[in-house]
Amino acid sequence: MASPRQRRRSLSLLVIAVLVALPLAALLYKVTALDYRIANILPQTQYRVRLDMALDGGDRRVRVATFAPTDDARQQISDESQTSPQVFHYSVEASGRNRQAVWVGAPVPDGVAIRYEFSALLAAVRYTIADDLEVPESYPRAIREHLQPTEVIQVDDPEIRALLRELDADHGPILRRLEAIFAYTSGLGARAFKGTTDAVTALRLGEASCNGKSRLFVALARASGIPARLVGGLILEPGSKRTSHQWVEAYVAGHWVPFGPTNGHFAALPSHYLALYRGDEALFRHTSEINFDYMFTTKGRMVPSVEARASFKAFNVWDLFARLGLPFSLLQTVLMLPVGALVVVLFRNVIGVPTFGTFLPALIAASAGATGLTWGMVSLVIVTGSVVVARLALQRLQLLHSPTLAILLTVVVMSMLGTSLVADALDLEELARVAYFPIAVMAITSERLYLVLVEQGPREGAIQFGGTLLVVLACYLVMNSMAMQVLVSGFPEVLLLVIAANIYLGRWVGVRLVELWRFRGLWRRGAAEVRA
Amino acid sequence: MSAAASPRRWGGRLRGRLRGWLDARRRIAPIYGINRRNVELVYAHNPRRHYPLVDDKILCKERLAAAGVPLAPTIAICRGLFEVDATVRALAGRDNFVIKPASGSGGDGIIVLGAREGGAWRTPKGRPVDADAIRQHLANITFGTFAKNLEDRALIEARIEPHALYDALWPDGVCDLRIIVLDGRPLLAMVRVPTRRSGGRANLHQGGIGVAVDIDRGETYRAVSKGRAIATHPESGERLVGRRLPLWGRCVEVALAAAAIVPLGYLGVDLCVDRRWGPVIIELNARPGLEIQNVCARTLGDAL
Repeated sequence: MASPRQRRRSLSLLVIAVLVALPLAALLYKVTALDYRIANILPQTQYRVRLDMALDGGDRRVRVATFAPTDDARQQISDESQTSPQVFHYSVEASGRNRQAVWVGAPVPDGVAIRYEFSALLAAVRYTIADDLEVPESYPRAIREHLQPTEVIQVDDPEIRALLRELDADHGPILRRLEAIFAYTSGLGARAFKGTTDAVTALRLGEASCNGKSRLFVALARASGIPARLVGGLILEPGSKRTSHQWVEAYVAGHWVPFGPTNGHFAALPSHYLALYRGDEALFRHTSEINFDYMFTTKGRMVPSVEARASFKAFNVWDLFARLGLPFSLLQTVLMLPVGALVVVLFRNVIGVPTFGTFLPALIAASAGATGLTWGMVSLVIVTGSVVVARLALQRLQLLHSPTLAILLTVVVMSMLGTSLVADALDLEELARVAYFPIAVMAITSERLYLVLVEQGPREGAIQFGGTLLVVLACYLVMNSMAMQVLVSGFPEVLLLVIAANIYLGRWVGVRLVELWRFRGLWRRGAAEVRA
Repeated sequence: MSAAASPRRWGGRLRGRLRGWLDARRRIAPIYGINRRNVELVYAHNPRRHYPLVDDKILCKERLAAAGVPLAPTIAICRGLFEVDATVRALAGRDNFVIKPASGSGGDGIIVLGAREGGAWRTPKGRPVDADAIRQHLANITFGTFAKNLEDRALIEARIEPHALYDALWPDGVCDLRIIVLDGRPLLAMVRVPTRRSGGRANLHQGGIGVAVDIDRGETYRAVSKGRAIATHPESGERLVGRRLPLWGRCVEVALAAAAIVPLGYLGVDLCVDRRWGPVIIELNARPGLEIQNVCARTLGDAL
């Protein structure tokens, strides 16, 4: 009874069912039995922090020291490097709990620049303090120093003591005391003051910058019998700034728990706080009268989460690539190409956007990974534009096909080099990376554009080129989603889902969106005419 | 206005929207888009291995001629560069013929030549074409300039003299008749009328006018130019709608006969009606376009 069409339909459905069931089963197995960490699939932001220091040595001996961040439970530092003139000797020294980067040199001339940079992968933390936890009778020796007064943290000052009593923070469980101290210090007015503010001054003024509030917090906590210390660091945001930040840590049940009274973080720290040092320190120590200036520049980029990668045990393509010495970016491209092609299919067969070929938009999108989307598109337009001009010029010579293509390839290379050269001169770093574009992809795109221009006219050429750019945009967004990339590298079997989707779309006979417009006269009410 | 009226009115509006949407879906369903044409008509009825039979005009003509289907008489075939000179010599004493690439599409590379004046033939627009130009054009065709392959053959056949009615619609070119056939059934039909804008070609996307034909009665009922319904030819002023087509029954017969000979179930059959020979097949198309639905104001789904 079944017609060939129905048989084909049921066969397609069966294949789709298998292709959907298999990866879902594998996914379930991996998550339940192999403990894959799906929750960690979302990528993390890795910050690249650059510290530029400038000074005038006046041909004297100069010493500059600053704090180098350390690894701990919530921050991972990597790719630390520095560049400085030959005259300097660079070293990293331990200084108590901190690491100090030190540059010493003599004689140091004027107008010297030192650059220090590192990458940081940070995590947010949040602690829960049991509400019945009491202040202990005594602390280990190493902790006890964090109860002592200093010149600017006047623990024993009568005003501090009086405030503590007033806040009702001199007795009871730790949590209640810290809450009261936190509420008071974070409630102080803000004051943009660059110098050092001691605890008593902050108290008297009723307003302070981050270091004043932090010192007052530490003074009150210590007076209350809770060890506390200052933390100096940076709030990382893309861009340049000179402002550093201070917050505090209180020692609770064996942990140093962070508090940020300035920005209202209670027993918690967001993921863009980078700690540089512990204690009441100055961020920079340097020889005086050297006209010292500095600037922090931060860039963020998404990187796959380390936890996710570590949890991918069975058939880990990620590790496979690492073993073969292939970069993660190649893995991203390879794994995401089928997904990109699916996006192209959706645009062509469901929406009806005309493009140059089926795979070309996905290939272009993959290539644009190195340059970024905007500059990738700009590169594409520049290169294809120059190649089409060259092609139109060659048309007059009526050359045979293969030599023509070889010339076009040369023009692609030349226009890429030219673009890189100009971009470098204009300091457009991303555009300069146009050389990352596979030459063949550029050449094929140009040739397609030329053929359409010549055979179907500039209008059709513009439509198809525009359609291609649109689909490249969509492919880029999908293919460059790092969550997708990590998902596919952890669960390569989801590519079977891509096949299933393509089988479905391959038998999908619906009217394309663009065709709805083309045939609007046939279905729109009022537009249809009565047959004569 | 009571408080209850408002939600009721909203609910009613929503229901109206929903009904309108479902109605639109129902009207969209019988439209054949490219996806549906390919899956349900082309792939289902036209095995790919038989495409060369219709894609190559010479192969197609030989096959149809062998079965006795009426065609424009073949004058010569040029199989390669080595035959160009012989072909040009064979054409020396002739006039009123057409040179076509065997594998061309969209009318590319077709030259129509009329009477001979002095040493040159005149095209319908009056441009002179001499033997050297023909030699050059034949060489270009054999080099595959108008084909997707690297080489091709040229077909030279007698020029159609359109029947009086078609000649009246557009005297400077040839109107052709497109009939969509599925498994021996004519589904939709139209006349394609060239315009000056279309460069004398009848293809719709090049600016030709599509004139819908009622298959049962052989009468035109609608004409569309660039997506807009018209009643007369914008250039010749000739009435396009309500014309009874000559030899219509014979046209359908010839189209079905031609379609029956090739092993393809879904075809666009192109014919012309010559005043001497009656309907003759021009070519067969294994992937006919879908614009005919807009011309006929009728979906392929409804026609089925």
